[in-house]
Amino acid sequence: MDVLIEYLPVLIPLIVLEVALALTALIHVLRHPNYRFGNKVFWCIFVVIVQFIGPIVYFAAGRGEEE
Amino acid sequence: MNALEIKGLVKRFGSHTVIEGLSFEVPENCVYGFIGQNGAGKTTTMKMILGLLKPDEGSIRVYNEQVRYGQTDTNRYIGYLPDVPEFYNYMRPAEYLRLCGEITGCPSGSLKQKSGELLELVGLKNVNKKIGGFSRGMKQRLGFAQALLNEPRLLLCDEPTSALDPVGRKEILDILENIKGKTTVIFSTHILSDVERVCDRIAVLDQGRLRLEGPLDEIKKKHRSGKLLAEFGTEKEAAGFEAMDFVKKTGADVKREGRKVILCSGNTREVQKAILCGLAGMDDMPLKIEVLEPSLENLFMEVVE
Amino acid sequence: MRAYAAFVKKEFLEMSRTYKLLIMGIIFGVLGLMNPLTAKFTPDLLAALMPAGMTIELGEPSVMNSWMQFFKNIPQMGLIVAAVLFGGILGNEISKGTLINLLTKGLSRNTVVLAKFTAWGIMWTCSYALSFIITLLYTNYYWEDSADSVLLAGAVSGVWIFGLLLIAAALLGGSLFASMYGSLLFMGGIVVIQFLLGIIPDLGRWMPTGLISNNMSLLEGNMGLAGFMRPLLTAVLLTALFLGLSCAVFRKKQL
Repeated sequence: MDVLIEYLPVLIPLIVLEVALALTALIHVLRHPNYRFGNKVFWCIFVVIVQFIGPIVYFAAGRGEEE
Repeated sequence: MNALEIKGLVKRFGSHTVIEGLSFEVPENCVYGFIGQNGAGKTTTMKMILGLLKPDEGSIRVYNEQVRYGQTDTNRYIGYLPDVPEFYNYMRPAEYLRLCGEITGCPSGSLKQKSGELLELVGLKNVNKKIGGFSRGMKQRLGFAQALLNEPRLLLCDEPTSALDPVGRKEILDILENIKGKTTVIFSTHILSDVERVCDRIAVLDQGRLRLEGPLDEIKKKHRSGKLLAEFGTEKEAAGFEAMDFVKKTGADVKREGRKVILCSGNTREVQKAILCGLAGMDDMPLKIEVLEPSLENLFMEVVE
Repeated sequence: MRAYAAFVKKEFLEMSRTYKLLIMGIIFGVLGLMNPLTAKFTPDLLAALMPAGMTIELGEPSVMNSWMQFFKNIPQMGLIVAAVLFGGILGNEISKGTLINLLTKGLSRNTVVLAKFTAWGIMWTCSYALSFIITLLYTNYYWEDSADSVLLAGAVSGVWIFGLLLIAAALLGGSLFASMYGSLLFMGGIVVIQFLLGIIPDLGRWMPTGLISNNMSLLEGNMGLAGFMRPLLTAVLLTALFLGLSCAVFRKKQL
């Protein structure tokens, strides 16, 4: 436990970033139901489960054309 | 002054010659119809005028300034509407027009007003979605707005009406008619009725060569067939008319097709006079008498053959 | 000048609306956090994973371990992601035809190239600075000693210059091949050629790849600043050359 507390100052921003990113991506997935590939369920799970890489892959490749 | 002068233009793509020795001039403040089938070389010619493609031979001058391939200063006179205009999908129409205005150095005060007016003119005033969601017709309308934004002296439109519904087409043609006199317009098309509506001069392009060029009314006059048509209510009346002495006396070549009688001659005026005098003594009146104008379509087919 | 400013602004709008800004910010922010964390955490983690009774000799992690992570992760992860994003900056616009409307309004082609370089240069600088500042702050927090600031400045600027060189290479690749993939291949080619030429020691000392591989040698004092200046000079000259060539090629491009 002591070990964990020592890392908290760096872990907290990391976790905040991850959660914020996953949420941003999740909201985008839900509000823009057009994807270059995959479907809504797939992207919802992918974006939330796969940390950092999931949302980045979604924004870079999976996101559909602008509405 | 001529808005555009093209001399001896040649363009090859590999071994395929797309433009073969094209020469014509566009006087200032006219609407110039650039007619040709798909693949006749209309878009290629326009791209060379804009310096986007390199001519293999020949010269192009815009308002007496030589067009240079690549970076060319003559583009500041020109507004261009490509056949399929491409925009930044993530922008809204007003944002796109602002970018265009800033690039041409339009003062920011008048820019906002100007872009508002133009969006209203092309019917996109209340459209606030991103361009990525636009239909082709909407993109064409926005393309028109961006082409007119910098008040160009020469407007080049590549098939501006092809992606539009009938209402949109009429609106665009109305705009073209309105700016006639202030702006020189060159527009390419294969829709001949559009040409007849707005053009002063035409050029017919076929397989990279100019087949016909000049003011529209002169071309029509020159190709006037010397045909007079008299149309009757019934075939019997038409046949009776055909057999009349005064008709034969005109010396015209008379042909009857059902209820229609066509008189071909070298002097339509004299024939018309004689016919009208003769008709005064007849009981059966024709439904109409008409001097046949060559239709642009016939002319086009004739020169393209 | 106004057209230049307008085009730079357009580039930033594009980065933000196509989520490139977000991606760069997140990746470089996360990398910045990961560097000190990994350096500090690895020995503890290994110790925890070892079966009871076994011990391994691991030195106490030092400030150098943190910077070692920085100079490993940024070039390997950060630069690769950045390069993929750089790939599309000119090639995509040429292949899609989105520049036609603007160029036919009299926008100078040089302005396009230079404005893109400016916008993406700023974007790269900010992302990289973000990563560096985060790593610096946490390194100072976890370790009492610190790296030599002159050498650190040298090592850090090396990666930065290399990033700028990549942007210039992306622009030249884009104007040559008019596609995103052409641009990416060109960037990759530039790096591979450098590694191949680097086999010859006399040439290798001048290759800009030294800017992303010799950082730790510099920081640990095994390589003088002078040795690091050679690739730096080459990289600056190459960047200028690529930009100039890119303008020249793009000015004569059939669109």
